[in-house]
Amino acid sequence: MAEAKGRTTGLVARPLWRTGKQIVRTLILGRPNTVLYPHHKLDLPLGYRGKHVVDFKRCIGCGNCVTICPNDCMWLEKLEDPELGKIERPGIDFGRCLFCGLCVEVCPTAAIHETVEFELADHERQKLRSGPKELRDDTYADKIPEERPKRSLPVLDLSKCTGCEKCAEECPEICIAMMPIEKVERSKPEITLAKCTSCGKCVAACSEQALTMMDVYDSYFDMPEPKLKLAECTGCGACARACPADAIYMLEMPGTEKVLKDGKKGKPKKRAVFVLEKCVGCGRCFRACRFHAIDMPGVRK
Amino acid sequence: MAEMWVNMGPQHPMTHGLWNLRVKVDGETIVDAEPEVGYLHRGIEKLCENRTYPQIIPIADRLCYGSSMTWSHLYCMTVEDLTGLEVPERAEYIRVVAIEMQRIASHLMWLAAYAGDLGLSVGFTYTMRDREVFVDLFQALTGGRLTYNFPRIGGVAHDLPPDFDRDAIRAVDYMEKRLREYEDLFDRSKIFMMRNEGIGILRKEDAMNLGVTGPSLRASGVSYDIRKDAPYSVYPEMDFEVATHKDCDCYARYKVRMVEMWQSCRIIRQAIAEMPKGKWRVVAPRTAPEGTGLGRVEDPRGEGMMYVVGDGTDRPYRLKVRSPIFVTVSAAPKILVGYKLADVVAIMGGLDMCIGETDR
Amino acid sequence: MNLYEFSYGIIHWLVDLVNHLWYWLGDWLPWALGDFFTAVGDFAASDGHLSVMTMLLETLIIVIVALINVLNFLWIFRKLSGRILDFYGPYYVGYRIGGWLQNLADGMKLFVKEIIVPAKADKVGFLLAPIIYVGSSLLILATIPFSENFGLSTNPSGEYVPAGALFAIAAFAIAPFTILLAGWSSNNKYTLIGGMRSAAQMMSYEIPLLLTVASVFLLAGSFNFVDIVDMQHDIWFAIPLFIGFVVFLVCLMAEVEIIPFDLPEAEAELVEGWTTEYGGMRFGLFYMTTAVRSYAGGALATALFLGGWHGPSFIPDEIWFLIKAYLVFTVFMWVTWSLPRVRIDQMLGIGWKRLLPLAVLNLFIAAVVKSAGWV
Repeated sequence: MAEAKGRTTGLVARPLWRTGKQIVRTLILGRPNTVLYPHHKLDLPLGYRGKHVVDFKRCIGCGNCVTICPNDCMWLEKLEDPELGKIERPGIDFGRCLFCGLCVEVCPTAAIHETVEFELADHERQKLRSGPKELRDDTYADKIPEERPKRSLPVLDLSKCTGCEKCAEECPEICIAMMPIEKVERSKPEITLAKCTSCGKCVAACSEQALTMMDVYDSYFDMPEPKLKLAECTGCGACARACPADAIYMLEMPGTEKVLKDGKKGKPKKRAVFVLEKCVGCGRCFRACRFHAIDMPGVRK
Repeated sequence: MAEMWVNMGPQHPMTHGLWNLRVKVDGETIVDAEPEVGYLHRGIEKLCENRTYPQIIPIADRLCYGSSMTWSHLYCMTVEDLTGLEVPERAEYIRVVAIEMQRIASHLMWLAAYAGDLGLSVGFTYTMRDREVFVDLFQALTGGRLTYNFPRIGGVAHDLPPDFDRDAIRAVDYMEKRLREYEDLFDRSKIFMMRNEGIGILRKEDAMNLGVTGPSLRASGVSYDIRKDAPYSVYPEMDFEVATHKDCDCYARYKVRMVEMWQSCRIIRQAIAEMPKGKWRVVAPRTAPEGTGLGRVEDPRGEGMMYVVGDGTDRPYRLKVRSPIFVTVSAAPKILVGYKLADVVAIMGGLDMCIGETDR
Repeated sequence: MNLYEFSYGIIHWLVDLVNHLWYWLGDWLPWALGDFFTAVGDFAASDGHLSVMTMLLETLIIVIVALINVLNFLWIFRKLSGRILDFYGPYYVGYRIGGWLQNLADGMKLFVKEIIVPAKADKVGFLLAPIIYVGSSLLILATIPFSENFGLSTNPSGEYVPAGALFAIAAFAIAPFTILLAGWSSNNKYTLIGGMRSAAQMMSYEIPLLLTVASVFLLAGSFNFVDIVDMQHDIWFAIPLFIGFVVFLVCLMAEVEIIPFDLPEAEAELVEGWTTEYGGMRFGLFYMTTAVRSYAGGALATALFLGGWHGPSFIPDEIWFLIKAYLVFTVFMWVTWSLPRVRIDQMLGIGWKRLLPLAVLNLFIAAVVKSAGWV
């Protein structure tokens, strides 16, 4: 097929025939192929990546979107909301945004979406920076069909757990293992989420209702996990306050009470305990700890 | 008239992208040529050293914005080679469909610019109109129209949208009908043949010595296609032919690209028919082991290569990109000498320059 | 009533009106001045003066009609190009008449642009070239009559210039010199190349053009437009002289510099060719002159080959003429947008090696047809 050359019979006859058909088509039979924008606009498919919207109720303020943006165009802004209190929500600089959609993919609660709005031009560069309030739309997620797969998974509240091990016995897939917590005379259940079949038996078995079934979105990104260096932990609790996903609990270490001058016993020291199933990998604990007790292995600054 | 250096300068309607071609003309005949690239250098390789592996995918897209799926796929292949990751089969098939669609879209854009430079504005609008069909398909598949951010390390970003099979087959049918019509506009037009036959001859030995790859090499008679000679992804299971041509002139380069479009249509049909069901993505590890990874693909413009060095963290230590046009543009002096100034357009246009990947 | 009588009537009426006032004024004034006024009034009413003014008015009418037609041509050019290239042409300006006012808007825009004369340019040549170019192009239209009653005639019986067709072709041929002048006086390497290419192209395509027109003269037996058109009442000259007609059209395309022959202003190599240094309305004049020349070429082709104003009588003659001229222009557009550009040496090759023998062959055919008495 690559070798045969066409014959140019009539020198110009075939191109004229082709263009002649086109003239008949657009003048007599129909319309040209273009659209009289801005009077008529094309319909864009739902997956089109345009302007973002942020659902304030779903967002936990973790900042994963800010970290993953390739072009550093997002920031977290501290706001006061009448319903939600003191929150941090992301804003986007559309002058720098690539519209790549990585922030949408990495969000652990599917709080940020991209709509089909693309007419974002403005006369001033400052106006292109959209703060969180301009991006807020709490009802967008209800209007579109759910795209990200999610699973029902058991979520642990460590403050209620007593370490009774009933959940580990009930689990048919043996995904729950009781791991001892160092210096705290208790063990906590560690759930291997990959093996969980959402049967709910562990939730039913727990007498303290420390386990609840919640819908969790699948994440295809391997987020970094924090490791605690117990020797440096002072129990200040900064990491627990910084964690947006409630994955860090401060537990008392029995036997570490200091004896005070008047003979009374003081309060026991605390240590941080991680429930890594809930961790979203945002790294705020790492940045909050001033004693360098938390390490994120593999992350290069 | 004395010989003079003419600058087909950085700002010029003909040069696709920002580069400078200095030609030494004696009257109307070209005696020497010197390309100057580097006006579009964006420091992409340095940018990649400070970003995590998933963050580099949109940047790899922007290496050559004319065929961006190829470059992000190449990057994902390279990192999968570094980390030793197995990609599910459905993801490989989806990637092949996307790459071949990108090949058709890239060749159509080349044809649009080429015809427009030669004076045939009708060629420009018709090919761009047909490219819109594929760009709309990409818009439905990935959400973007020019740079897609679709392949991921470990698969593709999401599954095919509903009705994509039907739309893709319709697009391929439409394209095959249009390719037959393009023969009328180009092959059967005496003036087009006058501008292209015998112009810009690049002999086989010169092409191989200079390291030219891609359609320009295949137009000189060398049957070298990485999809057949060093196959990757699911190409071993695809049935297609490698397009070659024995004349080494501009017409041969045009014909090779048209035949490649036919073969891409064939590959898309096979891939859609044979696509297995299953997962489309696996979770890739965040940190890469210490080591190196190499990927080679058949870009619409030639052979693209990427080489990544990992150092145990979540950012690459070094990412090296080998661009096909960077090598082909150095063949300019060989091809241009002896022809007229008006042929520069046809010859350099026929090489399909994309300066984004040349300057990185 | 023909154009001469029509204009004569207007001028006569106008001169009478002015003379009423003039004579009354002359009566008022004392002796020598009054006599002077009377003498001027008598001179104004004399035959010679009236016929000169009539001819001037005729010319004005013809120029206005020509320019309005040029506007139409520009509209057809943009609209038809758009439709061939699969988009809408001008659409919004003049919304209800299909975007006809777009060219007026573009002309106004060109008026307000800054006109820069390069410092080292040859000022006389730079300023003179567009004037002569536009003037000579409008001159072609002077002698082409639209019908027996509409044309530049010199007496009431409607006799036109005896060698009208020859004059038109001669005016056509002034253009290469002005282009060379424009390209050279801009003091720019690229315009010089463009100007020389353009002059070479135009001059080498004049020869087949003239030979083809000579064959029409041979068949018709006269240089007068009215005689040529009258000889076509049985059969249009395009049918026995079909080769000549095709050669004529190709040479016209090369003269008017549209694709496939527009290398002198090819964007891909030289930014705008020989018109690069001209800005504002000067550039607009060049653009308009392309339309004027294609209109003139279309009118020539109609008069010489396509039977002029002959056609069924339910449409007046002038409209037939215009319809045929517009049709020729539409064919030009169709060909323009279907073919790529020809390189300069290939173009000169076509002109000398292919069209010239065909034109000579056409001359031979015309001689055969005439002497066999078929036409």
